[in-house]
This record gives sequence, structure tokens and C-alpha cells, in this order.
Amino acid sequence: MITKYFTKVVVKFNPFGKEAKSARLLLSAIPPAQRLTGTSIQNKLLTAASTESPIVKITFKDKTEMEADPTKMTFKELGNYFDRHSRKLGLKESIESQ
Amino acid sequence: MFGLPIRVIPQVRVCSNLLQNVRCLTTQARVTVKPVQSRKTFLIDFYKDMMEKNPVVLFAHHNNLLKQENAHFRGQIQQLGGKMVVLRNQLFQVYLRNSHLPDPCAPSGRHKQNRKHPLLPLFKGPTAAITFSETEPDKMAKLLKMLEKSSDKMFVVGAKVDGQVLEMPQVHEFKKLPSKSALQGQLLGLLSVLSGAGLVRTLEAGSHSLYLTLQSHHDNISPDKEPKSD
Repeated sequence: MITKYFTKVVVKFNPFGKEAKSARLLLSAIPPAQRLTGTSIQNKLLTAASTESPIVKITFKDKTEMEADPTKMTFKELGNYFDRHSRKLGLKESIESQ
Repeated sequence: MFGLPIRVIPQVRVCSNLLQNVRCLTTQARVTVKPVQSRKTFLIDFYKDMMEKNPVVLFAHHNNLLKQENAHFRGQIQQLGGKMVVLRNQLFQVYLRNSHLPDPCAPSGRHKQNRKHPLLPLFKGPTAAITFSETEPDKMAKLLKMLEKSSDKMFVVGAKVDGQVLEMPQVHEFKKLPSKSALQGQLLGLLSVLSGAGLVRTLEAGSHSLYLTLQSHHDNISPDKEPKSD
């Protein structure tokens, strides 16, 4: 997963639920150095009784927001889903730098 | 073979000392899935010891901590009287599945294992256990406050307190309770207050009614005396 272009990561999940695996792996995939360079990471723990649905919401450098439901996706699928936009940004950056 | 002290790794020796007492009682060799002196067997024994000796075990998710962050958290937890152990998920799951069996390392059939242990879903992703050897909710409250300040580098996902599995809202309720000794003191105080009025009378009631019954019978069988009024 390309995490370089993330500026904000919001993860809501129930640790006892099915979504916990992909949500927790996504949280741990963000390198610690990136926290210091400005990516804000928020997480909220839900319970079985809570009405909110589990969600992964990522804001990119160009302020695009992408949302995904961790119950229906594995960590690999989540990574591919967010990489689609990250790759676009990477391409744009490489063209501009030339 | 098993009576020989193990001098290879100091950690292993501690564990083997614990198990030596058990082995002295039985003459049979210990049967385990992995070799007896392997790290996997040691870790499962270690987890068993950890879960059975500590009444309070909190499970926390940690996001790849830097070296100094790791040292900071460990130091803070140690100051509160706890201990942080990063778990190996698969081995911990093996322990949980076999925790009701006498030896969790021994080979066990699928039907014998407890595959619905309530803690099992917590071991997906990096997990650490924070153990406390005494039930002191105020220390837990301090720990949770410390972790809240850590900007989600580490957060508690669940807990086991006195054999009960707690989810986060229950953990937050639990931390507000007074400590176990304070609660016992309160109960004692309550009993001594009650004994002033109701409790003593209730305890006396049985013997008192027996005395009254016998007394009335005695009065009945001795006709020469006039019945007395109570």
C-alpha cells in the first residue's frame, strides 16, 4: 500500500468484529515516521451495540476523500483500492517534477 | 532427560523450574506438539502462566512503535506496576483454544479445542498484553489515560479481568470502581452496621423460637403450675 500521499486517516472498527483484521492491519501499515511528518491518524473503537458502521476514510494530498468498508474487503483489497488514487498522484508528481 | 536442568537460555530455565514441580509428580514424559525445549512450547507455557497468575490482562493494539516510543511505554507501564508483553498471535490463539485442557502444548483433537473462546477475535494484527498482578482499577485508569495521550500509537482493544472478558465500554466502567481491598472494606463496614440492628436478631430468631416452644410445652405438661404469661 502506498501511504505517502495520505494526509488524514480515520478508522472506525469493532475490535471483536470481522472487520478488525483489515482495519488493524491498515493502521499498522502506516510507517511511524509519517505520523511525525503530518499525517493525522484517528481511530474509534465501536462495540457490537453501537449504531455506527465500520469505516476506513482516507484524505489524500489533493483533498480527495476515499471511503471503504473493512467488513467486505481484505487488507490486500483495501490496499489496492487506495493505491488506485495514490498511483494517479504519483504519476502527476513525476510529470510535474520533470 | 527432563530432570536435567536446562542451562542454555536463562528464560527457558525459569519456565522449566515451574514445570519441574509438576514433572516430579509424574514419571511420564511430557508429550507436546512441538519439541519440549522449543521456543513455541516455551511461549505457550509462558502465556498460560501469564494468563493464570495475573487477574488483570489488557490487550492493546500497537502501531509499529519506534524504539524510543516502545521504551517509553514499557517504562510507564512498569511504573504503574504492570508488564507489557508483545504477543505472538498464532501461539496465543493456540493457548486460548487449549486453555481449558490440562496441558495446552499437548496434541488435542479439533473437537476437544475451544474454538469459540471470546478473546480469539482480538488476535488479528499487532497485539500486546499488559498484565497487572493485582486488581487495581485506579492503575488501569492511569494506564488508559496515558494511552489516550499517545495519539493512537497504542490503544486497548479488550481485557480479561478475573476470568471475565470485557469490551471497551465495560473497561471504562471498570476503571471507575474502587480497588478490591476498598470494596471488601466497604462490605465489612456494611455488615457491621447491619449487625447492630437486623442481622443479630435474624441469627438469634431460630434458637429463640425453639426456647419459646419448649417453654410452652413444659408449661402444658406440668398441670400443678399455673400457666405463665410470656
